Amino acid sequence: MRSRRVLVLLTAIAATLVTALLAAPSAVPHHGGGGNVVVFGRNATIDHPVHGDVQVYRGAATVRDRVDGDLLVFGDGVAFEGNGRVLGDVILAGGAVKNGDGRIGGRLYTPATIEGAMAMMTRTAVIVSLLLAWMIVAIVVTLMNGREVRFSSVEVRTSPLHCFALGLVAVTSFVLTAIVFSYLVPYLIGIPLLFALAVFAVLTKIYGTVALFHAVGTLVAGARTREQLARRRWLRGDLAMVVIGVLVLGALRLIPLVGPMIWAFASVFGIGVALATKFGRREPWFLAWAPVEARAAR
Amino acid sequence: MNDACQRYLENPEANPEHAKECAECRALFDALAISMEDRRSRLSLDELPLAPWEGAKHRPWGLVAAAAIFVVALTVVFFAVAGASPLSVLSSEMSRLEMMREIFRLASAAVRTAPLTWQVTIGVLFVVVNTILVLLLRRAPRGIDA
Repeated sequence: MRSRRVLVLLTAIAATLVTALLAAPSAVPHHGGGGNVVVFGRNATIDHPVHGDVQVYRGAATVRDRVDGDLLVFGDGVAFEGNGRVLGDVILAGGAVKNGDGRIGGRLYTPATIEGAMAMMTRTAVIVSLLLAWMIVAIVVTLMNGREVRFSSVEVRTSPLHCFALGLVAVTSFVLTAIVFSYLVPYLIGIPLLFALAVFAVLTKIYGTVALFHAVGTLVAGARTREQLARRRWLRGDLAMVVIGVLVLGALRLIPLVGPMIWAFASVFGIGVALATKFGRREPWFLAWAPVEARAAR
Repeated sequence: MNDACQRYLENPEANPEHAKECAECRALFDALAISMEDRRSRLSLDELPLAPWEGAKHRPWGLVAAAAIFVVALTVVFFAVAGASPLSVLSSEMSRLEMMREIFRLASAAVRTAPLTWQVTIGVLFVVVNTILVLLLRRAPRGIDA
């Protein structure tokens, strides 16, 4: 009953997050539809007007004429020449913008601009405020479903390699499944399928991370003997372990460069343990078929 | 085995006279080569390892409040030192979300126009990865009862 309540609550949170992401207002109107240019595995040269978006994967883009939509480059950057300009956004994942001054109508997104726009101190403040949000979520989940969180915490400490492997495979599966579902978007069914997948992924991440907080808290501050447990006033119980875990992982998250990697690893562990224990319920995901004779013989 | 045997096996200490009357139950306990007195003396709860559920329900609200106040204070200090308002940071975070949404929108359209080899690779990877996922999910959890 309690686990159902938590599942409903977490599903509502995840659905809200995904809906907010999808429904976030866009700064620039987009010109979707026909006229899109997509190039895979080679350089692209735009020397005629494009009435849509341009996407380049594993290559560089040279823009010599007008692009009405957005430009996305996963590769070696973009160079503007002649009358080249982009009326929408330019999104770069790799490489740099050459000769781009005044030629981008929308916004320019690059990993460097996003990271660099925020000063170190501001970034730390953001991380700490997100930590507060994580703490609130962790406390609510633990209060409503402490037993399940504990089950998962025990599992991640007993089988860390299995949880990590499962987490890695699950993350890859989420990405590939999202790609496959995106094929179904023109047939409408793809949209609810993608939405459900995103909600499930967020749900798994939230629950798994809370379980990992508990595991880290127990490893760092858990009582080893009954005498130790009896002596303690504050550092005992699921709630205390989760709070300690949030503080420890949060402190590690603040370390430049290493912190985000540790947090990413923790997310993989979390997703793995959430799935390995079926959100702490320890029920099988798949029912095993057995003939009546075989069951009687057991 | 009758009802008296059943009662004795369920709670030997409450029915000690049954062992004198019933040879079958006596033989059963003799086979275990241990008397109830020995069992009691040998079984010491303190010698057992600490179970995860022991003390788990304890709720130290003082610790929770102290941790929350600490994190809130830290956030306020960092925002004050950086000279940024939480709202401006929120809008900056929103632009990151917007970028992710843009990438997702464009990439989902690109997938459908990808070369055949890419599409076949995605299909094969989808089947292989999900098969591995199912195989990994079939393994029962190993953790002891919490």
